[in-house]
Amino acid sequence: MHVGGEVDVRSAYCAASVASLTNIMTPALFAGTAEWIARCQNWEGGIGGVPGMEAHGGYTFCGVAALVILKQEHLLNLRSLLHWVTGRQMRFEGGFQGRCNKLVDGCYSFWQAGLLPLLHRALHARGDPALSMAHWMFDQLALQEYILLCCQCPAGGLLDKPGKSRDFYHTCYCLSGLAIAQHFGSGDLHNEVVLGIPENCLQATHPVYNIAPEKVARAVMHFLQYPVPSLDPA
Amino acid sequence: DEIGLIPCPEARYNRSPIVLVENKLGVESWCVKFLLPYVHNKLLLYRQRKQWLNKDELTDITCTLLLLNPDFTTAWNVRKELILSGTLNPLKDLHLGKLALTKFPKSPETWIHRRWVLQQLIQENSLSSLATKGNLGAAPVERIHRLVQEEMNVCSEAAGRYPSNYNAWSHRIWVLQHLAKLTVKVLLDELSSTKYWVSMHVSDHSGFHYRQFLLNSLIRRTVTDNNILVQNQMVNEQNTSLQKEEESAGTEATCAEKQSVDLSRRLDEEMELCSELIDNYPGHETLWCHSDESLNNSHHSPATSHMAQAMDVDGLNESSSKQGYTQETKRLKRAPVLDSLGPEMEYQFVDKVLSTCRDVDQARFATAYRKWLVTFLGQ
Repeated sequence: MHVGGEVDVRSAYCAASVASLTNIMTPALFAGTAEWIARCQNWEGGIGGVPGMEAHGGYTFCGVAALVILKQEHLLNLRSLLHWVTGRQMRFEGGFQGRCNKLVDGCYSFWQAGLLPLLHRALHARGDPALSMAHWMFDQLALQEYILLCCQCPAGGLLDKPGKSRDFYHTCYCLSGLAIAQHFGSGDLHNEVVLGIPENCLQATHPVYNIAPEKVARAVMHFLQYPVPSLDPA
Repeated sequence: DEIGLIPCPEARYNRSPIVLVENKLGVESWCVKFLLPYVHNKLLLYRQRKQWLNKDELTDITCTLLLLNPDFTTAWNVRKELILSGTLNPLKDLHLGKLALTKFPKSPETWIHRRWVLQQLIQENSLSSLATKGNLGAAPVERIHRLVQEEMNVCSEAAGRYPSNYNAWSHRIWVLQHLAKLTVKVLLDELSSTKYWVSMHVSDHSGFHYRQFLLNSLIRRTVTDNNILVQNQMVNEQNTSLQKEEESAGTEATCAEKQSVDLSRRLDEEMELCSELIDNYPGHETLWCHSDESLNNSHHSPATSHMAQAMDVDGLNESSSKQGYTQETKRLKRAPVLDSLGPEMEYQFVDKVLSTCRDVDQARFATAYRKWLVTFLGQ
């Protein structure tokens, strides 16, 4: 994550995210990265911080999103990943847990639910005929209920679960999760599923970078104007 | 050996807020809002080169800071510099970390720094084992062993202080991978020493995941050892073999055979443990997940593939078989085959749970498990 710091799948995601948006990707930069991330997938189907570790929502998102950027999602066992993440939506609360047998937490509305658009895309690319053309493979309304009814602080901002205090991190990821739950697909296939009044509807977010899709497009277009920097001495 | 905050909103008496009772350090809460900004500021000024601090002051200040807030990376980094310059003994940081973890058992920065310190110690250790006669008392191997044991203790305590402590268990795995080198002995020791703990923490998914890691590592070990064994046997066949070579191949085969038997026995024990806990503590998803995976491992255990390999070797070399070798393969073939009734027993177990349980979640998990047995095992 920084010089002398810890190594885990998050840094792979950060690097892939930044490099792809700013057009500095080279084969050398990510040589072996995709294979390393794939090794972080374990018997549970999810992805841990480093190979051998327990599957965890945050790390799983980072791993999958990084592989999507590197176009190597097929290195994962997508079936067991799908099985794991769908098992993380809590049947009573509607929100998601970060790991098996743990409590629900608003931030996993993005880390976990956000995996389903990525999986949908990967499976679609394989030509899976069973994929829906209108909904993600999780209960979108139940997640929205959890976020809107349980994760809002009366004074503004969002939180982990009732009883916790608000913070920017949870505000960000609850809202991001809400956006994911409200918007299926894009362009011609866009399907909105909004719980409550229409004003509840947020703008869609990009499932890989979690910023507005137009911003992603603009950033990519901008940096494509510049050549990829090389490491060779001038 | 433990630190804590004493809730005490106001200074009642004119005396120090530090309380030391029976080796446990307490700090009265009222002083924190004065103390923390003060030391924090001092360190930042030092970092910004606006105010010099000597090594002793740095050690004290960072120590205070980290006991109040161990996720302050800069403070740990200052200590890294002190260690690298030789002024600070790395073992002190292990102790400081251990103390911080009694109050902050998850603290990511503490665990990360701990791994950095251990890496320093590993390097130091390998250098001193190259030199003649280590002057640090115990032999390097002994030192590593003690370090590993201490780390197991620290992880165990931290795991007990916070449910499903991802960072503590991750660290434990890291220590086994990098310090203990995943020897069979260590893996088996850890399996037996954590058995009681997980039985007392049936919802601790991290604890059970640790056991999966141990079992998977054992499986991989067994496969590697068997591959080496088979290769050795083939090499022996190609050379003119002396009585001695055959004997050593014999002992190796016995060891590998024993390992496979041990392994399947361990997997069976794991299934027994799961079933027992599921019966006693209905409604814990972790136990069912663990059961799934243990059965999966049981089913695809290398014990069966090891037999196949041994028989292949025999097939290839029938014409040049020597007395000792033939006897050896006969022994291998006679070794106990994996209990192929495993899945049958699991069906019976699930059906029994479904018919006797009253917990809604337990019934749900049992039904899902049955579906899994049918789909994934194809039985």
